[in-house]
Amino acid sequence: MNDEEKFSALVIGALMAVFALIGLMLASHALDVEMSIFGWSLAAFALVFLFGLIRRHFDQEAAAKNEEVRRHG
Amino acid sequence: MAESAGYVAASAIRYNDDVVKKFVIATMFWGIVGMAVGVFIAAELAWPSLNFWPPYLNFGRIRPVHTSAVIFAFGGSALLGTSFHVVQRTCRARLFGGTALANFIFWGYQFFIVMAALSYVLGFSKSREYAEPEWHLDVWLVIVWVAYLIAFTGTVLRRTEPHIYVANWFYLSFIITIAMLVIVNNLAIPVSIYAAKSYSVFSGAQDALVQWWYGHNAVGFFLTVPFLGMMYYFIPKAANRPIYSYRLSIVHFWSLIFIYIWAGPHHLHWTALPDWTQTVGEAFSVMLWMPSWGGMINGLMTLSGAWDKLRTDPGLRFSVTSVGFYGMATFEGPVMSVRTVNALSHYTDWGIGHVHSGSLGWVAMISFGAIYYLVPNLWGRSGLYSHRLAAWHYWISTLGIVLYISAMWVAGIMEGLMWRAYDTQGFLQYSFIESINAVHPLFIIRWLGGVFFLAGILIMAYNLIMTVRSPRTAARATDISGLPLPAVGD
Repeated sequence: MNDEEKFSALVIGALMAVFALIGLMLASHALDVEMSIFGWSLAAFALVFLFGLIRRHFDQEAAAKNEEVRRHG
Repeated sequence: MAESAGYVAASAIRYNDDVVKKFVIATMFWGIVGMAVGVFIAAELAWPSLNFWPPYLNFGRIRPVHTSAVIFAFGGSALLGTSFHVVQRTCRARLFGGTALANFIFWGYQFFIVMAALSYVLGFSKSREYAEPEWHLDVWLVIVWVAYLIAFTGTVLRRTEPHIYVANWFYLSFIITIAMLVIVNNLAIPVSIYAAKSYSVFSGAQDALVQWWYGHNAVGFFLTVPFLGMMYYFIPKAANRPIYSYRLSIVHFWSLIFIYIWAGPHHLHWTALPDWTQTVGEAFSVMLWMPSWGGMINGLMTLSGAWDKLRTDPGLRFSVTSVGFYGMATFEGPVMSVRTVNALSHYTDWGIGHVHSGSLGWVAMISFGAIYYLVPNLWGRSGLYSHRLAAWHYWISTLGIVLYISAMWVAGIMEGLMWRAYDTQGFLQYSFIESINAVHPLFIIRWLGGVFFLAGILIMAYNLIMTVRSPRTAARATDISGLPLPAVGD
């Protein structure tokens, strides 16, 4: 994983954490059904995206280790 | 020798094709959904008893689902996907911002589409044409759009190719202008940050003008300019010919974007809008004819010496037909913007016919051409699964468009004439319901045209799935593709 990929994942990950909090805040104070649905959906979207980022990080780390083993035995 | 060295350099770059593939799949998915909803609402108009399960399936709530699904979901996914493909190839650079940013743009955009559709069905809408989503969804869209701008511009800035290929100019103007249009048109004050309802900061005639400044430029900078970018990449690639005139592409780009932005007031002829503003809209709309046809001529003439490929390349057939429809729709638009013509055509189904000759004939068909080119290339297949199925798609779609637009022309002119007819005593000759009865058979023909077009995209989806999965289109070594071709005629 190069620096650009790492930085990108970090920034997007931080943004997703903020979006998840905003989603929860909107859902908890919602004055209508639309805002309630949007808030919960935003929080769920951000969480799933965060899990995706974490999964991709470990997948790439495992792939790099496998590649290292394949090259050097 | 230098050229082969360039090919080696290009092949060393690992393009982010994953996000392009996702957008291609999304384009097909939303195309089917959006067109199916279109067929349903066309049936609702022909057979009103289909407005069951009120209020969720009422025409008024479902109609924006159709327009948003086909324009922003289908068209938008096609544009974002192809722009990422084109900018990487023509700049010889991997997409800027890493995989996380690209994935955020894809999933963030899909999230916006789903949330917007859901909000329409629940009855939350700003009631602004093509800008129905309430304020919170607009804020989300702007966040995703800024991310898109960063990824696209970053890729252009780190290009290893000295020249910025013309398709990128079209895509970039789309990204920047849509951002400006969306922000200004959707300036609103929410009743609370925890409520979906908001009120526009504009009012009266100014509100109407801002709304149609946005509305017409949504047509211009979402449905025209970036699809021209698509044309400038995929037609030369499929035809294996350089653009007919690179100079013409630059001239018509700058004239198109300068003129388009002023044409919006033609949507408000014979209203409370000041007369001079209507005249400005009309004059710029008529002027728009020239740069529009500049693009059409450039697209068609690129086929010089390669017309035979239309027999063998189904994707190219779609692309070239789309350019023909583009020429037709961009001639019809200026005609309809003339106030005396508009007095007849406005508020009638002629407008619906005009929009669909552009959206089905131009937008959908140029997208189909690009996708037929992209799928075998992105998935590393030897070619399409079936050219015969692609030919069926082509003819059934074309027939669908012809049925649709001719029915709407006849219906629109009939409505316009009936609404303005007076009897000898000065009373309106026809009631509104009489005009509805008169166009009923044409509404059924319009629905049938939509069914044909939907059947076409279903055939396409099957063909593309089989292209990716069938052993008949066995994998081949990835070729070097996407290098810009030099122009002739300059």
